[in-house]
Amino acid sequence: MSAYTRQELMVIEAARQLRDGDIVFVGTGLPLLATTLAQRTHTPNVVMVIESGVIAPQVRPTPISVSDPKAMYRAMKLGTLREVLGSLLQRGLIDVGFVGGAQIDRYANINSTQIGPLGAMKRRLPGSGGANDMASHCRRLLIIAHHERRRFPERVDYITSPGFLDGPGGRRRAGLNPDFAVTVVTDLAVMENDPQTCALRIVRLMPGIEVEQVLAETGFPPDVALDLGEVAPPAPDVLRVLREEVDPGQVYLKAEAPAESVRR
Amino acid sequence: MTTSTARNATRVMTAAEAVTRFVRPGAVLGMGGQNIGRCPMALTHEIIRQRIGGLTVVGCNLSIGMDQLVGAGLVRRTESGSGNLERFGTTFCWRRGIETGTLEHEDYSHLAMVSRFLAGEMGIPFMPTRSMLGSDLLTPAAAATSPTRGERPGKAVVTDNPWHPGECVVLVPALLPDVSIVHVQRADPIGNVIIEGFATHEPEMMRASRHVIVSCEELISTDEIRAHPERTTIPFVYLDAVVVQRYGAYPTSTYGYYDYDGDHVAAYQQAARLGSPAIDEYLRSHVWGCATFEEHLQRATNRVGLDALDASMREMM
Repeated sequence: MSAYTRQELMVIEAARQLRDGDIVFVGTGLPLLATTLAQRTHTPNVVMVIESGVIAPQVRPTPISVSDPKAMYRAMKLGTLREVLGSLLQRGLIDVGFVGGAQIDRYANINSTQIGPLGAMKRRLPGSGGANDMASHCRRLLIIAHHERRRFPERVDYITSPGFLDGPGGRRRAGLNPDFAVTVVTDLAVMENDPQTCALRIVRLMPGIEVEQVLAETGFPPDVALDLGEVAPPAPDVLRVLREEVDPGQVYLKAEAPAESVRR
Repeated sequence: MTTSTARNATRVMTAAEAVTRFVRPGAVLGMGGQNIGRCPMALTHEIIRQRIGGLTVVGCNLSIGMDQLVGAGLVRRTESGSGNLERFGTTFCWRRGIETGTLEHEDYSHLAMVSRFLAGEMGIPFMPTRSMLGSDLLTPAAAATSPTRGERPGKAVVTDNPWHPGECVVLVPALLPDVSIVHVQRADPIGNVIIEGFATHEPEMMRASRHVIVSCEELISTDEIRAHPERTTIPFVYLDAVVVQRYGAYPTSTYGYYDYDGDHVAAYQQAARLGSPAIDEYLRSHVWGCATFEEHLQRATNRVGLDALDASMREMM
């Protein structure tokens, strides 16, 4: 098996965050890819729920939309948006919400609505979709995103999906469930919310990546966990499943220089 | 044409007739479909062909149909949870309209939008949800996403649960479209509708609408409906028009019938991204220059192409 890319390891590390039996509300793109990988490797009993109304599919490669028939393959139920966003998600029956992020700030608030502040929009983005609903109702939120400075500002321009809002007590004050935890998996590091300050902090680095590289690509200064770890490289069989079964057409996984070559 | 008020009268008509009768300038138009799935393209094209303008387009995810209406200059305002075609990019005409201030837009979450349709179909003025709390989705829309400003009250109200004071809920207002357009798999002549596969927000939206037009892949008999009444998604009482249009969602997919045509979606997206004159040229070539949706299908693809889309879907069933 040839050397892996950072993007591949990002997807594999995100898949590792899922536990067998989790009911996962999955967004389109990399979340769908990583959850499919988890289902075909270490968590065969993970249950996917997709917002177009799909419950428990066995996704075929490679869906490009939540309405793609490949995302519905062998589902146990094809229903309505209200059944999944309302009767499962808002009802409290989803374990993990899994989204991609356009902009993510120190307190894990997500912006997928607009670049530029209220009243001074520079770029209109697609909007919430079901992401606000996921961040509002899930107890665990998993975010996968490429690590770029512009994606990780101190404060998002627009809070589409609530993280911890303005910090400790923010969710409770807003009327949201305060029982909430966030993991952000990027191609440079894994960040989690500090249980006390609620701010994202670096808990693991991708192999070959230094803290300084992460700080340089983050618009706020994240704390570094005392027990900072390193993301384990992919097991060969997992990498094979990702490449050959989950995204064989390289719809999402672009050809990149192997991660090994960026080691110093 | 004979008009009949009988409940069992046939509602089968052409797209041109259905749109002429039920879509008025300035209407609130409920849009079916999601992303690249089951978008009501034949009915959308007919609205563009008849140049019915001043529309407010509402839905959960608004996608290629909405974007073509915006590209044709027929939309004043949209209310939705999102606008995009996922892997094929955003809805470019919509994005340009919001950014330049020619299009008003109000943001909700997808659950909030379907809750609004649910209130509408239940005949009540609003529905509570716990979505949107703490987020900027609760700020006035005009200030939030439109450079044109002008605050409107009434987007949503945060209040206490009367039974548990201190526990917040968000009330979202009922949304009753003047007319909804939806592409479905099957319908009978009087308007009993069978939606197969995923159904997104359509059931709530259709039942909340004052008028509903469906296009369908296949017309079936009322006896078939009566033989399996549990399969009926929406009973005829909500329906005003049934348009029979094979491939009526093309280039988006129809579950159980055909896959999406990625090449044609991409071709549209390229024109939409470029804006004028590319988008005008697309609409001239594929809508205004076609007397019917059939002509558009002939220009956009061919039998071999459609057979391949059928085969791709069959393989997944």
